Amino acid sequence: MARKILCVAEKPAIARAVATHLSGGAFQTHAIRGNQYVKNYEFEFNFGGAWGNCSVTMTSVVGHLTGLDFDRQYKGWMSCPPGSLFEAPVQETVDKDKLPIAENIRNQAKYSKALFIWTDCDREGEHIGSEVRNQAKAGNARIEVKRAKFSNTESAHVRRAALEPVNLDEYQASAVAARIELDLRIGAAFTRLQTLQLQTVVAALKEKVISYGSCQFPTLGFVVDRYLRVQNFKPETFWGIKVILSRQGKKVNFLWKRVHLFDRAVVTMMLERCLVAKQAKVTKVNQKPTSKWRPLPLTTVDLQMMGSRFLRLDSQTIMKVAEALYTKGFISYPRTETDQFDKAIDLKKLVEKQYPDSSWGQYARELIDSKFKTPRSGRHNDKAHPPIHPVSWVSPNQLNANEKKVYEFVARRFLACCSDDAKGQSTEIEIQYGDESFHTNGLIVLERNYLDVYVYDKWESSQQLPNFELGELFEPTEANIFEGKTTAPNYLTEPELIGLMDANGIGTDATMAEHIAKIKEREYVAINQRGSGRSAVQEFIPTRLGVALVEGYDNVVEGLPNSVSLSKPFLRKEMELRMVEICSGTKTRQEVVQQSLDMYREVFIHTQRRINMLKTACRKYLVEETTS
Amino acid sequence: MTSPDQIAAQILSTKSLSVAQPWLNAFLSSSNTAQRNIPPSALAKTAIFRLLASDIKESLSKHRSCVLPVDIHDPTVQERRLQGSIPVQVLDIEDIGTSLWSQIEAIERVERGEAIRGREIVRTIAVGEDPESSENNRANNNPANGAASASGNSGYGPHRLILQDAAGTMAVGVEMQRIDGIALEKLAIGAKLLLRNPSVARGMVLLSPGSVTLLGGKIEALDKPWRDGRKARLLEKTADVDRE
Repeated sequence: MARKILCVAEKPAIARAVATHLSGGAFQTHAIRGNQYVKNYEFEFNFGGAWGNCSVTMTSVVGHLTGLDFDRQYKGWMSCPPGSLFEAPVQETVDKDKLPIAENIRNQAKYSKALFIWTDCDREGEHIGSEVRNQAKAGNARIEVKRAKFSNTESAHVRRAALEPVNLDEYQASAVAARIELDLRIGAAFTRLQTLQLQTVVAALKEKVISYGSCQFPTLGFVVDRYLRVQNFKPETFWGIKVILSRQGKKVNFLWKRVHLFDRAVVTMMLERCLVAKQAKVTKVNQKPTSKWRPLPLTTVDLQMMGSRFLRLDSQTIMKVAEALYTKGFISYPRTETDQFDKAIDLKKLVEKQYPDSSWGQYARELIDSKFKTPRSGRHNDKAHPPIHPVSWVSPNQLNANEKKVYEFVARRFLACCSDDAKGQSTEIEIQYGDESFHTNGLIVLERNYLDVYVYDKWESSQQLPNFELGELFEPTEANIFEGKTTAPNYLTEPELIGLMDANGIGTDATMAEHIAKIKEREYVAINQRGSGRSAVQEFIPTRLGVALVEGYDNVVEGLPNSVSLSKPFLRKEMELRMVEICSGTKTRQEVVQQSLDMYREVFIHTQRRINMLKTACRKYLVEETTS
Repeated sequence: MTSPDQIAAQILSTKSLSVAQPWLNAFLSSSNTAQRNIPPSALAKTAIFRLLASDIKESLSKHRSCVLPVDIHDPTVQERRLQGSIPVQVLDIEDIGTSLWSQIEAIERVERGEAIRGREIVRTIAVGEDPESSENNRANNNPANGAASASGNSGYGPHRLILQDAAGTMAVGVEMQRIDGIALEKLAIGAKLLLRNPSVARGMVLLSPGSVTLLGGKIEALDKPWRDGRKARLLEKTADVDRE
């Protein structure tokens, strides 16, 4: 009798896709009891080597199988002081709605020689893999456990992953387990503390749960910080000098090297010295080839930032759509930090797959005919996934509107990566006039190259400059003072927020969109539309509650030299760095959990002691609201 | 015993400063009892050190050749060139290339112990160290120190200075070309400069590397209150802008 191998994917759609590829489409589908989404697919596959031909049951989970929670006596909000949740015993149990799925795995494991884990290849997937392993071992203690390493659901790639399994990465699974425990304890302790305390302060908060999350709050902090900068901003007047020369029927504007100054008397004096000098001297004529670089291979953060800028979709929607495109096998795994392509990937073959497209197919053909360039390499490699790229072509009429936009972006970005930089000729003229320097620049675009397919970048020729000789003297046609005012920064946009979160270690590329959605859902921030039509931009503005919470927590630690506010990214960033240490094996899960809890416990004690700071802030922003 | 003339000559030849006789006498009599056997060159060095920390209205000669003309601020004079070396002390320094508001924001970041590195906000106060060492760290975050430059506080200028000569005449100086050492966190209030044949336009002394020698020094009694009050002054000025 053939040996049997149990395969488990992270989602039903992946299970089906993998089953289709491994079986060549010939599989039998069986429903499982108690869950309508998860199916078991049965077929034969030759795993080669020691395994040989095996009968396979391919099934899946639906995300995490288990959840972590406090023991029953701690579950009620009034059951214990919130601070005791830092130590209260916790238990990992299979979620109620996942019980049939777990049972299915245990049952299937009984008859299987080996378990192949097909969860997504990232930290979260590694942990889900460990949950699957635990269930399988419960059904069959002697089952051998392997893990398939894959980053897209394209057929050849999937088959290769099946033939070359690796081991589960226990370190990554531990890092996720540590994060889950920390999120539970810290989140619950602060949520209960602030909710119970603030509910009594203002009528508006009476029925509200005021949730705390260690990523949510710094995310809110960024929004509030910018909001306050806009609110507090005071415009100031500045003055500058502009010099104009009319020559060969062209009007050349020279820009002041100092740009502008905030002292009118000084600028007036400087202009006078220019005028007294009468003639300006050309001190630099620099013509040189210039180029605009093609983009780097696409990462998740870049996809979210570019997506919300050019496609007008919020980051969460983009990730959902990308996820769907991945599951259907059109693009590679959309959660990646890698911005360099592995040499082993046959990029030309991937370019060729885009031939049928009516918009950029011709461009892809030209690339292969002569213009193909090896993409630039960025500095990031998560060692798990390649940059996001199209794995197969899909006809636009098979996609919905959002899918079309995201797929088009991924495809164009990929083709742009494989193209040459745009080339041009830049001219830089510098003049000395009195004591002051001025300059002007010209640009002629000679070859558009990647710009032809990457419609999101703009690079255009400027007006052509007249000729200037080095050392020549001329009398400017005009030299004047101009006046302007500084303007307030804009409210934070989603791409900016993602950029801040990324730079400050808040969340991972996989979770940033969720944190942003969370602070909207909690009504800590609202969305405001600036501008209209194609230039419309979505901005984040904090609600009164959002401002109150940030101000309250900032006041809690005011004057305490060693403490940082929960609205700042520092504590969370440290925690994130410790997760990386678990992944590299330099710290254990227990060590990290203890250290991080100690860090947050200290802030918790301060918060409890100075809870009036939080209450005062809420009263300040929320009571006024009801009376005004 | 070292003669006052010897010391005065040495200060003049090394720093181009003409010391006021009464100040020098007072300096010598205060040091004579304790430092009888000190060689003249060392004594001159001590004198220069004291001089740089002193108020030049008391310590330097008010001779016509080493002070500013009293009508120096006259805005009707388009341009004139002063002759000789004129020592002055700095009473105020402002960055006129950076808006007041962004200077205030930079000070506030330092107050919060943050610095900005690109998009990343960096905490400059060490967390979790023993209180003593973190106190030291905090001291290092004082805007007077180098740490402030990481916060973007160090603007590119140009700077506008208020200068005062030995006779007490004040003048505005404008940094026309970048001068090393003229920066908010580098130049102390009370620091001494030597103006060498400077041009003056519309009542403003034009400062450039060729016309200025930085002697350094500081007047502690002026510098500390100036730094402590800087944010309040900037805020006050932005409020003035509002009213305009």
